[in-house]
Amino acid sequence: MEEPRIGVYVCWCGTNISKMVDVEAVSQEVSKLPHVVLAKNYKYMCSDPGQELIIKDIKGHHLNRVVVAACSPRIHELTFRKACEKAGINPYLFEMANVREQDSWVHTDRSEATRKAIDLVIAAIRRVEFHEPLEKRSVSVDPATLIIGGGVSGMIAALEIGNAGKKVYLIEKTDRLGGHVAKFDLLFPHLSSSKQMMRPIIQRVENHPNIDVFLNTQITDVSGYIGNFTTTIQVNGNEPAKLTFGNIIAAVGLKPFDPSGITEYGYGKFPDVVTSIEFEEMLSKGKIFTKYGKEPRNVAIIHCVGSRNKNYHEYCSRTCCMVALKYVHQIRAALPSANIFEVYADMRAYGKGHEEFYALTTHKQIIFLMFDQQDGLPRIREADRNDDCNMIIEMDEKLSGLSIEVPVDMVILMVNMEAVDHVKEVVRAIGVSLCGNQFFIEKHPKLDPVATTTGGVYIVGTCQGPKDIPDSVAQAKAAAARILATIATGTCPVEVTTAFVNEKMCCGCQTCISVCPYTAISYNKEKKVSEVNEVLCKGCGTCGGTCPAGAITSKHFTDLQIISEIEGIMSMSYKGF
Amino acid sequence: MSIRVQPDLRNELIKYGIGDWNACYHCGTCTAMCPLSEEGFLFPRKKIRLMQMGLKGPIESSVEPWLCYYCGDCTKTCPRDANPGELMMSLRRYLTSLYDWTGLSKKFYTSETWELGFILFFASLVVITFLFILPSFGIKFDTTLTAQGGVRVNSFAPIGIIEPFDWSMAFVVASLLISNIFRMYYKIIWKNSTTKVSLWVHIREFWLLIFNFAVQPKFSKCDDKKYWLSHWFLMSGYTIMFIVIVVFLKWFQTEEILPFYDPQRLLGYYATFGLLFGLGFAIIGRIIHKDIKFKFSHVSDWLFLAMLTGTVVTGILIHIFRINGMPMATYFSYIAHMAILVPMILIEVPFSKWSHLAYRPFAAYFHQLKKHAVPK
Repeated sequence: MEEPRIGVYVCWCGTNISKMVDVEAVSQEVSKLPHVVLAKNYKYMCSDPGQELIIKDIKGHHLNRVVVAACSPRIHELTFRKACEKAGINPYLFEMANVREQDSWVHTDRSEATRKAIDLVIAAIRRVEFHEPLEKRSVSVDPATLIIGGGVSGMIAALEIGNAGKKVYLIEKTDRLGGHVAKFDLLFPHLSSSKQMMRPIIQRVENHPNIDVFLNTQITDVSGYIGNFTTTIQVNGNEPAKLTFGNIIAAVGLKPFDPSGITEYGYGKFPDVVTSIEFEEMLSKGKIFTKYGKEPRNVAIIHCVGSRNKNYHEYCSRTCCMVALKYVHQIRAALPSANIFEVYADMRAYGKGHEEFYALTTHKQIIFLMFDQQDGLPRIREADRNDDCNMIIEMDEKLSGLSIEVPVDMVILMVNMEAVDHVKEVVRAIGVSLCGNQFFIEKHPKLDPVATTTGGVYIVGTCQGPKDIPDSVAQAKAAAARILATIATGTCPVEVTTAFVNEKMCCGCQTCISVCPYTAISYNKEKKVSEVNEVLCKGCGTCGGTCPAGAITSKHFTDLQIISEIEGIMSMSYKGF
Repeated sequence: MSIRVQPDLRNELIKYGIGDWNACYHCGTCTAMCPLSEEGFLFPRKKIRLMQMGLKGPIESSVEPWLCYYCGDCTKTCPRDANPGELMMSLRRYLTSLYDWTGLSKKFYTSETWELGFILFFASLVVITFLFILPSFGIKFDTTLTAQGGVRVNSFAPIGIIEPFDWSMAFVVASLLISNIFRMYYKIIWKNSTTKVSLWVHIREFWLLIFNFAVQPKFSKCDDKKYWLSHWFLMSGYTIMFIVIVVFLKWFQTEEILPFYDPQRLLGYYATFGLLFGLGFAIIGRIIHKDIKFKFSHVSDWLFLAMLTGTVVTGILIHIFRINGMPMATYFSYIAHMAILVPMILIEVPFSKWSHLAYRPFAAYFHQLKKHAVPK
């Protein structure tokens, strides 16, 4: 190994770092360390002149290692790695010390903060000495895409990719496309027809030359990795077909909450207590009637059924408030003199045009009655013989502070959106994670909401969390754009800092296989050792930490590198700086 | 105990001037804004809630609508244009009809035909009395003038007839009003099953009734004082006029033309000024619609203003014609005056808007009683 020649750069970050850390003292102190050729400080290292400084020094002083003490590597590690690359050294021969988030921003004693900065920089210097050059790798991308779920999200994504001239395999579990939306009557907040919106989309998907639709089909197992997945499906019951594809979109949708378990509402016991899904079907048929075939005089719509309640689901289903308001317009049109009660816990009208829709609906002569989930749910009971209604809702009305009785002939339960029953099978097949509510977890909740931690697997629509049609469509198109970008490139980069198994040391205990979250490790029965698939490996290091024989090393996180870093951080503490 | 929601009540309330009350989404800004709303007697939001849910019982026992003097600040600040001020006004109309046992109040508030029909009926009775009945008893339109050149008004409308008539009318109106006040007391205080008020509290707080009648101290707590001032002038003018006409008619309706500075004329002029000032303020306000208070007018609001103005104007004409020696003009003004005054007193005071002269001070009294109520 060549002699390490290290350049150290301490960033002021304007006054962000220099106010609390004596940057001059830091650079002077570390310049005395072995292998450090030069140590400088500069106002903004991330600026063009800052990067130029590094490039010039690498070339002029023949540096082969670089340490920058600045902000979090999350922000600028890539910037400086690129600068190194530009100057002709491997980008992994670089290390960053975070003296802003972990030092200047969180301390108030300048001399102590300076001392800590020196410790952090020394640790980085001692670590970078043992860095090894790593080469970037990439895999080719199969231009076909598998989409699981033929609802509005899946179909929109399919059309987006199909229209770009790329192959799509659209898998649908049921015998028809359209999902839940195709069953709805009108859509909020414009009261537009769902069927008129969905029919042309379904037809376009069915007739699209680039989209192969497989109805009555379920995905059981997918193998491969980003760019190169395969699966076998049973077409028409028993004819197996092998599909190969480069990317996957999961759009498996939602399941309406079953309110039978909420005893207060008596769903199943009272025939005129219906779910919003059942009421939607009633509206599609064009007639609102009770089990006796009569038009109801009093209709109550109970919100948050299964939502925002510790006993059922704590999350909000986001769409029910607006759907419940939509029903007001539909009921009012069909039954002009009916009394309509909105029995709600909170009115949530956050979306575009939603607040306006809410305000408009309040003028439809309806009665809003508020309940507090913490004080117990409204309770439905059968009406007495001399009442002129079918049922009575008893509730503690929050806005008046009174206990009231509401006469009703029909109750609509605004049921919550749940994850589909077969979500675990999908998870197993495509290798993504679930949150506590059984919804798929996105890679980053804000900055990467459609990707997952598994490369090449995207999640769109209500399987990621309850949402309305515009949000689902936006996600579908976002995922399609991401996939088309990788198809256009033809290749995609894979993780460099992966794990590898020293076959001589591996005892074949397979502990690593059980802990790997990416199913990247397999067991070679012939050699009786574990093997890492470097395309699937994300370099999390879990296997390396678990391996009892110490046979697994994570690239860029070797024992030597980490121990040197620890030694570095400890080296000054006894000197009493 | 649960109270049954009555969604149909809104159909009834709409006739009393309740507009789009469903616009309210209970932010409570109105209650927070109101300088008169207080702990235990919160309004307007809570009362709007009762209306929305159609809870007739709690509405009936509410004293709060009478504690509101309609400055309009709530309506100004309402983010949903639910118009809480007018909702409170409508509630007062509704409560007036609930207190009234004859059912006439409800008829007058909800049917213009009934109200106008009754007014015309009494007006024609007055006209017929003066034109045909009294002349048949030998009372003539005397055109001779007094030595001072004034009209002999007492020969046309003898004190001996007018005064007993005034007293009997006052008796009828007072009986109706007092019986309705007892119903009001029953609904607000007596019927309450959880609290009671001791007799001593009733006696101790009684002074509030007179105090509130005389100066409307609660009204003066509204942020905009001009309403209170104009109302006070109107009210004091009306009270003075009412007392001199009913109790001191002999002293007031004279044929002698007293000097300008005589207390009889000065008192009359003050009362007329007070009435005109208050009326002018309200009428102009209701025409230009600038103030929230006057923005929304129910038929009963206009009828009341029109009749009171008619009474005042004809009263002024009687005075002018009499001292200027114009007998026929004086007599016809007198007939017109009575033809407006009589139906106004008979309809407005016990059954309509004018009844608030009794309900408001009594509500202030009952409010105080409720504050001192103890659990049963």
